[in-house]
Amino acid sequence: MARSKAYVASVGFTKVGDHWEKSLLDLAVEAGSSALKGAPKAKPDVLIVGNMFSAVGASQEHLGAMVAGALGLTGIPAFKVEAACASGASAFNVACSLVKSGSVGSALVVGVEKMRDLEPEEASQALAMAESAEYTQFVGASFAALNGLLARYYMESEGVSRDELSSIPVIDHANGVTAEHAQFRKAITADVVSRSSMVADPLRLFDCAPVGDGAAAALILGDPKAGAGKKLVGVLGGAVSTNEFSVYERKDMLDFRATRDAFGSAMSQAGLSLPKLGALEVHDAFSVVGALSLEAMGLSKRGEGCRDAKAGKFDLRSDMPINTFGGLKARGHPVGATGVYQIAEAFLQLTDAAGKNQVDRPDYVATHNIGGVDTTAAVHVFGRAS
Amino acid sequence: MAIQSWRIRDRYYRLVGSRCASCGAEYFPPVYRCRECGSDKMKDKEMPKTGRIVTYTQLHEPLPGFEAQVPFYLALVELENGARVLTQVVDSPDEAVKTGAKVKATVRRAKVEGESGQIIYGYKFIVA
Ligand SMILES: [Zn+2]
Repeated sequence: MARSKAYVASVGFTKVGDHWEKSLLDLAVEAGSSALKGAPKAKPDVLIVGNMFSAVGASQEHLGAMVAGALGLTGIPAFKVEAACASGASAFNVACSLVKSGSVGSALVVGVEKMRDLEPEEASQALAMAESAEYTQFVGASFAALNGLLARYYMESEGVSRDELSSIPVIDHANGVTAEHAQFRKAITADVVSRSSMVADPLRLFDCAPVGDGAAAALILGDPKAGAGKKLVGVLGGAVSTNEFSVYERKDMLDFRATRDAFGSAMSQAGLSLPKLGALEVHDAFSVVGALSLEAMGLSKRGEGCRDAKAGKFDLRSDMPINTFGGLKARGHPVGATGVYQIAEAFLQLTDAAGKNQVDRPDYVATHNIGGVDTTAAVHVFGRAS
Repeated sequence: MAIQSWRIRDRYYRLVGSRCASCGAEYFPPVYRCRECGSDKMKDKEMPKTGRIVTYTQLHEPLPGFEAQVPFYLALVELENGARVLTQVVDSPDEAVKTGAKVKATVRRAKVEGESGQIIYGYKFIVA
C-alpha cells in the first residue's frame, strides 16, 4: 500500500567468521560506518539494528542507542528488531516501512551477531531460543534437531536421496570461493557433505550453516536525489509473514507457508513474475530448509528442490542463480546479520559491483530470510533504479 | 528457571494438553486458540499415552544440560487423538526407532538444570 518509494543508497559489511579481536559493537560500527561513507551526503533519520541474541552472546542489550552513539548519530531514534534468524531482514523491512510512510527521509539498518565468543553448546542454546522453551528446548531438541526431523520427513515423503540433499551446500560453497567476505572459500563435492560428521541424523555438518561473527548495513533513502548521483537500488517489494510457531504443530510440515506468502506478496508489489528475477538469495540454514524454501517460492515443484539444484538449475551461471556469494553455508550465517548480508549482496549484483560473483546483468534480485523453521519469513525484491 | 518447569508440571508429568470445547480438536502442547475452528474456548485435557512415530532424528550435539544423554532420539509422535508431541524416545533398541513405530509415554529425568543441579522430570516415550 506504500505510496512512496525506498532506495538502497549504499551498503557495508565485515567479513564473516572468527573476529576474536572485535566486539559486537566493533563489528556493528565497521559495517555501519562503511554504509554511511558510501553516501556521505545522506544522514539517517533513524537507526534500526537487527540482532537475535546479543543478550546471550555479549551480555548486551539496548543496541539501538549504543550503535547510534558509536556511529556519531546520538539524538536520532534507534531500535533493535528481533525475529530470530530473520532479525536482519525484519529490521530492514521496518526501516523501509518508515521511509515509505514518509515519517522519516532516510534510515540506517545494521544487522549484527557475535556468535564465536560462545562455546558450541552455548551457541546451540542461543539458537534454540528461536523455538519454544517449554516444549522444544525442554526435550533437548536443538535447532539442528528440529531440522533433522524435518529432513528425514522430507526425504521419506518425497523420495529425496542423501546425495540429492547435498546439492544445495555444493552450490553455496562453489560460489563462496570467489566471495571475499565469505566465511568459507573452498569448493566441496556432494560426497564431502554426505560423509561429514553427523549432527542430527540425517543432517550432517555440511548440511548446517556454520557459526560465525559478522555485521552488515544498508542505508535507505526515500528521495533518490538525496543519494547525490550515486547508483541506487530500488526496493520494489517487501513482506514479512509468519507460520504456526513450531514446525511440528503444522498440518503440512513441508509447506513453508510464511515463505510462500511473503514471497508472493513481495513479488506482486514489485509487479514481477518469477522469470524476471536475475538472482535469489535464499535462506538455507539447513539443506532441507533451502530446498523447501525454493519449493515454496515456486522455483521448484514440491519435492524437487534438491534435484533441481543437482541438475544445475541454480548455479551461478544459470538462469536462476541462488546464493551468489555463498549463501548461509559458505558466506556464513551470523544470524541477526544474515538478512542484511543478503540485501547487501543484492545491491552489489544490481550495481554491477559483484566482481567475480557477478551474475549476467540482473534487473531484479530477491532476498529471502527466515527465522525458526519458516516461522518468520522476510522477503524483499530489488531492482535497478535509473 | 526451575519455576518455569514447575508451573506446567502437569503437562510434563501427565501430558495435559488442551481440547477445543467447540469442535473437539485436541492439542499437545496446549494452544490458546483452536487451529481447526478458531475458538478460544480451550480446556485442559490429559492426552492418550500411546501413538506412532511420524518422523525422528538422532541428535549428536546436545544443548547444555543434555550432555550425558547424547546421542539420543527425538521423535515427532502422533498420539491416538491426533495431537502431535515432540519427545525423546528412550530405552528402545536402535532398530526399533523408525517411522511408523508404536510408542508409549513414560516419565523420566528430563534434564539437569543450573549450577544447583536441579533435576527436572518430564515425559519421554519408549517403543511399545
Ligand atoms: Zn475447535
